[in-house]
Amino acid sequence: MLHGASAMLGASVLADSAVEHYRGSFDNPGMYTPLVVSAVTMAAGIDGASGQWLPRRMRDGMYALSGAVGAIGVGFHTYNVLRRPGGLNWLNAFYAAPIGAPAALSLAGAIGLAADEIAETSHPDRLKLFGIPVGRALSAFTALGLMGTVSEAGLMHFRGSFQNPFMWLPVSLPPIAAALTAKAAIEPAGERDGRPMTRSWLWLTSAMGIAGVGFHAFGVSRAMGGWRNWSQNVVDGPPLPAPPSFSALAIAALAALRLRDLEDA
Amino acid sequence: MSDFEASTPLARDGRAPNVFREGGWTPMRQYSETEEVDFAIVGTGAGGGTLAARLAEKGFSVVAFDAGPFFRPLEDFASDEESQSKLYWLDERIVDGADPLVMGGNNSGKCVGGSTVHFAMVSLRFRPEHFKARTLLGYGADWPVDWREMWGYYDQVERALSISGPLSYPWGPARPAYPYRPHPMNACAQAMAVGCEHMGMKWAPMPLATVSAPRGESPPCVQRGFCRFGCSTNAKQSALVVWIPRALKAGAEVRDLAMVGRVELGSGGQVTGLHYHREGAWRFQKAKNVVVAGYAIETPRLLLNSACPDAPDGLANSSGLVGKYLMTQPNQGVFGRTKEESRWYKGPPILCVSEHWNYCDDKNFPGGYTLMSQGPMPQEWVNIQVGARKLWGSDLRHAMLDYNHMVGMKVVGEGLPSVHNSVTLADEVDQYGLRIPRITYSWTEGDKALIAHSMDQMQGCLEGANATDIFRQEQDTNHLNGTARMGDDPRTSVVNPDGRTWDHPNLWVCDGSTFPTTGGVNPSLTIQAMALRTADRIEALAARGEL
Amino acid sequence: MRDRYPDYDVADKRATPSWNDATRTALDQRLAVHPGPRFLDAAAFATLQALCGRILPQGERTHPVPLAAYVDEKLWLDKRAGFRNAELPPLREAWQRGLAALEAEAQRAYGRGFAALDPASQDALVGRMAAGGLHDPAWGDMPCALFFAERVMAEIPRAYYAHPSAWNEIGFGGPASPRGYVRLDFDKRDPWEAAEAQPGREAEARKANSRVGR
Repeated sequence: MLHGASAMLGASVLADSAVEHYRGSFDNPGMYTPLVVSAVTMAAGIDGASGQWLPRRMRDGMYALSGAVGAIGVGFHTYNVLRRPGGLNWLNAFYAAPIGAPAALSLAGAIGLAADEIAETSHPDRLKLFGIPVGRALSAFTALGLMGTVSEAGLMHFRGSFQNPFMWLPVSLPPIAAALTAKAAIEPAGERDGRPMTRSWLWLTSAMGIAGVGFHAFGVSRAMGGWRNWSQNVVDGPPLPAPPSFSALAIAALAALRLRDLEDA
Repeated sequence: MSDFEASTPLARDGRAPNVFREGGWTPMRQYSETEEVDFAIVGTGAGGGTLAARLAEKGFSVVAFDAGPFFRPLEDFASDEESQSKLYWLDERIVDGADPLVMGGNNSGKCVGGSTVHFAMVSLRFRPEHFKARTLLGYGADWPVDWREMWGYYDQVERALSISGPLSYPWGPARPAYPYRPHPMNACAQAMAVGCEHMGMKWAPMPLATVSAPRGESPPCVQRGFCRFGCSTNAKQSALVVWIPRALKAGAEVRDLAMVGRVELGSGGQVTGLHYHREGAWRFQKAKNVVVAGYAIETPRLLLNSACPDAPDGLANSSGLVGKYLMTQPNQGVFGRTKEESRWYKGPPILCVSEHWNYCDDKNFPGGYTLMSQGPMPQEWVNIQVGARKLWGSDLRHAMLDYNHMVGMKVVGEGLPSVHNSVTLADEVDQYGLRIPRITYSWTEGDKALIAHSMDQMQGCLEGANATDIFRQEQDTNHLNGTARMGDDPRTSVVNPDGRTWDHPNLWVCDGSTFPTTGGVNPSLTIQAMALRTADRIEALAARGEL
Repeated sequence: MRDRYPDYDVADKRATPSWNDATRTALDQRLAVHPGPRFLDAAAFATLQALCGRILPQGERTHPVPLAAYVDEKLWLDKRAGFRNAELPPLREAWQRGLAALEAEAQRAYGRGFAALDPASQDALVGRMAAGGLHDPAWGDMPCALFFAERVMAEIPRAYYAHPSAWNEIGFGGPASPRGYVRLDFDKRDPWEAAEAQPGREAEARKANSRVGR
């Protein structure tokens, strides 16, 4: 399940960075990097989730690469913003390279690495990451990831003036899911009710991520020229590949909850 | 009438064009000519269109007349400068004076929606002190309205048009964030921003009346750049797509291709209706009130052309000031070349603003001005090249090759009111048999000082942005104001603060011609704010039985 | 003149979302302009053609933009600019008088018609007209410099830069609706915009320009 989430996040980054860097005309050869790396991450995730034909070491190498490239991407995007007139201001936050976006790649890598760690051990309930039980660590990590994605969606929907009421969904549903997941990360052991509330919100968030593609497709259709003007509207309109990153993180959080249940048991 | 003009009205038979649908219609209430409607409004632009919507929404019966056609932008507007000249007032006008004005597409629209159909969408508020320029700053004239009241109406207009602008505006008193987010700045606007920082001036993305996200039936702007030639997507929040649909929905009638030639004066100083030309014949519409909203040339022209034995010098002209104090705004530019490609035809033509010199009083000239980035289309650009650089022949063709490497800025300045600048009637008549206007204009010494100062500033900005081969466009003007000025004293003004003429209690003026001063910003937002105020005042007066 | 945008043809975009029906109709009409003259007489039209050839020389073109035809069409329709300087007669009269006066000046100075002069002599006369230095009685009360600035230079260059050939020459994106533009920064080009040839890299530009209509 964690590998699957990793693959899904990788796919979202692949499609999103392909469109966005195409918009940027691939001016800097480095702009191809996230395409290659997110494809690699996706491959690692699919491999991990299905047959595991690749040696673990190689898969982990792929995940680690993803984590590193995401961090470097944040640096590049920050540089892109700072060198524009006005530097760090709202205008550049809206229209220059999105500073937080590459972090999704790091998230995908980290989730994948954790997945392999867990698969290796016969006692995942005793596994620790950074000295913290893995279920708790991953819950906290995915909650943070969800909140990062919420801020990016919030910024972009603010740019769009929340002109459609549904644009409030990704800034209202996922924060609740993230808060509940964070609660699962820190609450004392012994909660054995299976956290139905948290799971429901996460499934809802996951479904919202898929539905978001539909909303964004509608957005493209109502821009001038609609789908016939795809060469403008797919690039300039609401990004079709962005919303599933919510789904990927929600699924990862669900997997983390399962580990939490084991730890509690 | 020559054959390139449309001649068949579309708003008739109980329906008007639906601007949001190709071939679409929207129901329209109609009034008979013998029915005395509450308001007959002459003109449907920023003044008349706004007022028609608000008066109809307040329950008055309204008929609005426009001399031009009723377009559906989605199907009628080409991406083409030349053919879109159909939006302009191209009927003959005589210009003279030391600095004859350039008219036509520069400042005059002839279609439903008026000049807002081709305006550059710049939506700025006056500096508060500019409403009391005479008292507080020592030049021009005072407005008989309070800036705080106007700022309330600015809020309303900005919401009605969903202005896309910055979250915090760097100049003037605190104001709410603009309803929609700013548009991205194109290369030329970025060059201006760099230049402003070099000169120590603040800059901001320009607040524009074109939406950066969907709004109602308007899709977001696609940065096509033809804004000054009509927006074919309806992203532009012109009177044609904002106020006219509201007016129709509220029960107003719009008569397109209806040229009003004379307002009829009855007994007791009251007007009784207006004569208009439509479908080949002169007609008469009875009205309890007539509002003239034809902008700074056609408004005084109509008042003067309505002269009659009881008003031999024209309607509302007991002060002798109808047509006087014509003001324009200096619109000089400075341009330069950049090594990089700017491709300045992309995006709305004006995307960056600096109001530094509106709000700074440490200067050697009266008035203030705004600086803005530019993005001319090829015909506009060749016009600037031949006018400013006097180029022709192969020199001209060669200079034009740099089109994609140009950046530039323009000033919109506060032209000073002078009684010598005027609109009068020429002896020549137009296709309707109406005497055409003669427009007399000369810069004052104050204007010249402002222009010189602004060009030095723009040159400094472009140098700071590393532009080369910089040149100046020394002569250009744009928006018009004055000619039916508002005031507190019937001897020195044509209308009172409500837009009501001093001479005829049921004759009103609602457009840029009532401005006592032009302010240092483009006037459309202020014209619309004044129209909202006039509508509220009319409602209040009617409630008190004082209409 | 070096071809800055080799193989760029804005008309390649005719069937793309950059052009709508209204634009196609407008440009079809522009390209199908009546060759003229319909308003001017043959002699005045010949003078006008020669004048257009000096205001915007197109010697290198096999199909020059028919500038005189556009001016004649404007006169035939009496399509005015929306204003005229008080010292000028109305549009049609200004052109008729101005062209006749230019012809008279040529005869006076060189003993030949304006159209029959060599380009240098034509340019000399145009230069004097621009500077207000022509005073043949044929001008009447119309100042020649005003005719040059307000009619000749207001109308001939506008006609040229309304033509797709001129847009190709300067790399203008041309019609843009419903599709506008995406990339607005310096040195950024949408795939449907003209590519400028860097010296020595013309082939790249040609390739990009052959794709603007895709």
